[in-house]
Amino acid sequence: MITNQSLVKLRKVSKVFLRGSVDEVTALDNVRLDVGAEDFITVIGSNGAGKTTLLNVIAGVYPPEKGGKITINGQDVTRLSEHKRARYVSRVYQNPHIGTAAKMTIEENLSLAMLRGQSRGLRIATDKKRRELFRSVLFPLGLGLEDRLSALVGTLSGGQRQALALVMATISKPSLLLLDEHVATLDPQTNRIVLELSEIIVQKEKMATIMVTHNMEHALRYGNRLTMMHKGKIIVDIHQKKKSDLSVNDLVVAFERASGERFADDSIMLGNVDS
Amino acid sequence: MDYVINFLSGSLYEGLVYGFVTLGVYITFRVLAFPDLTVDGSFPLGGAVAATLIVGGVNPWLATLVAFIAGICAGLMTSLLNTKLRINALLAGILMMVSLYSINLAIMRRSNISVLREATVFKKTAQLFGVEPTTTLSVIFMVVLAIIILGILNWFLRTEIGLALRATGDNEQMVRGLGVSTDMTTIIGVSLSNGLVALSGGLVAQKQGFSDVGMGIGMIVMGLASVIIGERLFRPRGVTTILFAVIGGSLVYRLFLGIALRLGLPPNNLKLVTALLVIIALAIPYIQKKVRREWIPPAARM
Amino acid sequence: MKIKRNTKIMMSICLLAVLVLVLPLMNACKVEEVKKVGISQIVSHPALDATREGCIKALADNGYVDGENIEIDYQNSEGDMTLVDTISAKFVGDKVDVIVTIATPNTLSAIAAAEGTDIPVVFSAVTDPAGSGMVESWESHPNDNVTGVSDMIAVADDVDLITQIIPDVKTIGTLYNDGEANSVFLVEKLKEACEPLGIEVVERPVSTSADILTAAQSLVGQVDVIWIGTDNTVVSGLEALIGVCEEENIPLFPSDVESIERGGIACYGFDYYDIGYQTGEMIVKILKGANAAETPVEKGKIISLSVNTAAAERMGVTIPQELIDAAGIVYDE
Repeated sequence: MITNQSLVKLRKVSKVFLRGSVDEVTALDNVRLDVGAEDFITVIGSNGAGKTTLLNVIAGVYPPEKGGKITINGQDVTRLSEHKRARYVSRVYQNPHIGTAAKMTIEENLSLAMLRGQSRGLRIATDKKRRELFRSVLFPLGLGLEDRLSALVGTLSGGQRQALALVMATISKPSLLLLDEHVATLDPQTNRIVLELSEIIVQKEKMATIMVTHNMEHALRYGNRLTMMHKGKIIVDIHQKKKSDLSVNDLVVAFERASGERFADDSIMLGNVDS
Repeated sequence: MDYVINFLSGSLYEGLVYGFVTLGVYITFRVLAFPDLTVDGSFPLGGAVAATLIVGGVNPWLATLVAFIAGICAGLMTSLLNTKLRINALLAGILMMVSLYSINLAIMRRSNISVLREATVFKKTAQLFGVEPTTTLSVIFMVVLAIIILGILNWFLRTEIGLALRATGDNEQMVRGLGVSTDMTTIIGVSLSNGLVALSGGLVAQKQGFSDVGMGIGMIVMGLASVIIGERLFRPRGVTTILFAVIGGSLVYRLFLGIALRLGLPPNNLKLVTALLVIIALAIPYIQKKVRREWIPPAARM
Repeated sequence: MKIKRNTKIMMSICLLAVLVLVLPLMNACKVEEVKKVGISQIVSHPALDATREGCIKALADNGYVDGENIEIDYQNSEGDMTLVDTISAKFVGDKVDVIVTIATPNTLSAIAAAEGTDIPVVFSAVTDPAGSGMVESWESHPNDNVTGVSDMIAVADDVDLITQIIPDVKTIGTLYNDGEANSVFLVEKLKEACEPLGIEVVERPVSTSADILTAAQSLVGQVDVIWIGTDNTVVSGLEALIGVCEEENIPLFPSDVESIERGGIACYGFDYYDIGYQTGEMIVKILKGANAAETPVEKGKIISLSVNTAAAERMGVTIPQELIDAAGIVYDE
């Protein structure tokens, strides 16, 4: 069995915003990336490096520029819209409000997520059998959500909502999970819980994961592959073996060598601040 | 005592029959967060279709069903304008509302059709049970119909599709991320909404004895006012209670109008009464917070 | 807590409702022998208001004075169609002795609401009562507890008048709101009247009074004269039409007296006050025990020729002296 065959392939993927105007921005510049079926890639980079654009292009929020190609499981999805790609790709956003529906109950949210990418019919969405399933996926969170299935999501705390969003993103076992700075707005305590949960779920379900983060410490601690983006390009790509020996300092050095610039970005937290 | 019973049953009938408009408005404005103005056109559309067919000799039940379907088609057009041609929701609704004026005239081939001498669903029901077509009968008729429709909606909004529909208005981005075409949910929701509105139009025309091209004026305002009153008064939580609250809002609205009329308030002031009622309903939570010295969020634009 | 609050609100509503309901009840007990007349009017409009005033005057002239021996409950839906039925239901619920309806939609609604009761409906200012199913026929309608006065204008008389003033007329243009049932009916009548005379009718439907100017200008050069019926929309924006007609020398023939005063040339018409008065006399008979089902529907009785010589001059037309002599009302400025 081939364990780490390429699941997602990006070839010559570029994205330019406001083309032709004075504010023209090249957010992605000819990116090539292969994501293995069991890769857990962390992506760091300064503001405007193109991290979120990379996730958006993979998720299908917008297509890449002409000539770029994206395949998932060997299928060309370059022109496939976001909702049609959802079957393979799921995403947890920085803002917990985006990943959950506030005016609906926990069980309704999970039911919506359970049918990710599948056709929906006229079956009652939350029956007894499904509730059992929901309880079993919420229980490991240790947040007691399994006893509050009929609570409105809007009444949960930010951390609880993000944990729920994570469960919702993974309940249907998609091939690729995108984590878009998903703990950035949480307090340090919750932040750690959600990150550890992410790792446990990813390992258990064996799904390819791309995690964008601002925090070097997080980028080093989690995942088995680390990439660094700068001005729309992936300038550093370190695989499992080398990654485990790295320190934050090594990363700064690696950045400076690859980009030819001094590392001076306050927006990248060096890691000792909050973890 | 007769007077009281008459007043209450009349208000009950009106609250229920216009309650379908309120339900439709609730589905677009609240469930889908789609400000659909088609309503002012789809209500007379229902009346026009039902009346024209009935005068043409079609069975009134079938005519009412076709009115419902015609409303669905109107909603379909609005939602297609929005989702496929990317025309702003408000504008799509206005365009459809304006077109429906001409369409309704074309259907009726004049501005007013009388169904006084024709068989209506109310008369047919009376015949079926061998009684006179009185107000009491139409109230019972509407209660039964309202229970059926509420039951269907209550079921539908809990199904997988129904859930996707509700989530569209709550968090469109999430819904798309979950692989649901929000275009599709918008189309289903707006169509269903206008179907209910046209159904109401068809029933109103049969009860009042005519369909008039101008009978949709102010429907959207009435529907919104009823939704707001229902939401604020009954503080619903969960699908079932919300549906009942929405119908309840329509009943309270009609009750108020009836009281205002009976107090001898000149009808040209009734619109002002409606506006005041909605302002009061909207301001209650603010005033309560003010009294309790709670924190009040800044004014919202939506 | 929440239940308590809701209960409080509901209780206040019920209390208010009971209060409102009990007050008129006490009134109702007091005035048992007084006859009740419910008047339902569709919208405030000079012609319709005049109709109502005439009606009330006729009642008073015949000894039925509001507040003394009859109680008039006047309700106006102000164009809100959802209120039309509410008002009808109110009258039926109040068991009034007669429902008087001014205009078509509320007549239909009142008839539907009064069905199965013995409350008669007397309409006024309705153009086509038989065509809209209010009565089986004008003369005989034994199964309908309904009668009234129609404001159907004699379009053929107007066309005759036009040919007397402008003998070589070939085309008549007309503006009307195709959303008004009466207007559509009148345009049909116009075509019927013109056909045997070989006169062509050019129609310009409008939907609001804002469309009148454009519609009128589009008729310039296409028609010899313009005739308009008793169309609420066009009559309310009449000045725009008069402006175009005076500038382009197109004779304008409205069909109601008031519009002649405002600057139309001539018409055979009636005053809506007279229509109302005639309706009032009919109501008196019914209050005295006449059966509405046996009372034939009437047309406006008082028809007179009105001419405006100044307006004719401004539109480049001379009215023959014998017509001026025959006219009941002559405006010359």
